[in-house]
Amino acid sequence: MSALVWFNEDGLNPQHQMVQDYADSPKVYVFDVEYLQRWAIAKHRIQFIYESLLEIPNIEIYKGETVAVLRQLITDYGVNEVVTSETPNHLVKSWQDELLKYTSLITYPEVYPTIDSRPRRFSHYWRKCDREWLTL
Amino acid sequence: MEGREAIADYLQAEFPFLEDTGVLSPYPGGRSAGLQRLEQFQLEKYGKQRNFLDGEVGRLSPYISRGCMELEEVRQWALKRGKSNSVEKFVSELAWRAFFHLVYEEEGDRILKDMEKPKVSMRQHQTTLPEDIANGETGIPSMDTFIAMLKETGYLHNHARMYLASYIVHFRHVSWRAGADWMYGLLIDGDFASNHLSWQWVASTFSHKPYIFNRENLERYAGSVLPGDPRKGDPFNYSYEELSEQLFGGEYQPEQSRTSGSYR
Repeated sequence: MSALVWFNEDGLNPQHQMVQDYADSPKVYVFDVEYLQRWAIAKHRIQFIYESLLEIPNIEIYKGETVAVLRQLITDYGVNEVVTSETPNHLVKSWQDELLKYTSLITYPEVYPTIDSRPRRFSHYWRKCDREWLTL
Repeated sequence: MEGREAIADYLQAEFPFLEDTGVLSPYPGGRSAGLQRLEQFQLEKYGKQRNFLDGEVGRLSPYISRGCMELEEVRQWALKRGKSNSVEKFVSELAWRAFFHLVYEEEGDRILKDMEKPKVSMRQHQTTLPEDIANGETGIPSMDTFIAMLKETGYLHNHARMYLASYIVHFRHVSWRAGADWMYGLLIDGDFASNHLSWQWVASTFSHKPYIFNRENLERYAGSVLPGDPRKGDPFNYSYEELSEQLFGGEYQPEQSRTSGSYR
């Protein structure tokens, strides 16, 4: 299977497990211009992201509409899956959902203790998980 | 530094719609800068100093939020320091981040709306951010200082975020959403989960009570980094009981003492 590794702004780790698992796959990031403008993302954040990307070997950086750019890359590279890191960000999730129409998607989950009930207060969450959090 | 300036010029040309602050953020991007910050972080001081604006805090949030470092590896780093009050406090702050993500994961974009009924009336709150706030020209030097820090560095100490949010929502009667959207864009670590849910926490739509502060609290925790506000017409120079009456018309009665700084 050939894959494309797609980074999002919540996962800019050059040492991430997905980078190690897909070491030979092309790695890409897309600055989504519509998102940057809609949410008035400040230059400091964009520079921070850009500088972070420069530490990822062979990263290809694009700007445009995320899904359109990725679809083009999927075609150009002839890949059949996209690999990415999970984020709760609903905008990124909507891009992921859209991509699923065209390719299969592998997402690496975030790692932290979860609970079964719907947490509404931190104190509740902490009471349930403090030991897990405080144990190596 | 030259390299970072060249990057700033390049990005300004690529994204001409960006406002050019003319300064570089003191937070260079990248995992290596994050790891360096972690190395310099004096965790043993964190427990006692973390609520003070000039106290020892990690300032790791940009690196964790943007995923340069994993939450789990920072947790492990802290626990390897042995058990202490500082370690426990720090790890619980990491857990707050995860808690917010857990809620966001479950609620999706519903976190952009009131999670709960506000505990004080907010029907009259304006839904757009007043320009004097956006421009950092409120006329209150302390608040203008926080706004300037946010714009110039892309970062604010957590306590400063709380002060600013409380000022905007409760003292200025602006909807939390207008403030949250604005801050989200300006923060390097902007994250809908931590940011919007914290604004809701301040507003009382994701907590049991509104978060307010007074002059005494502001001076105690932030006084050393602030230029000093004029005494005349000071909106903060009251007891919590008086503020509650003024801001909420007695709708909500605060606890006797809220000067501990344990604002969560």
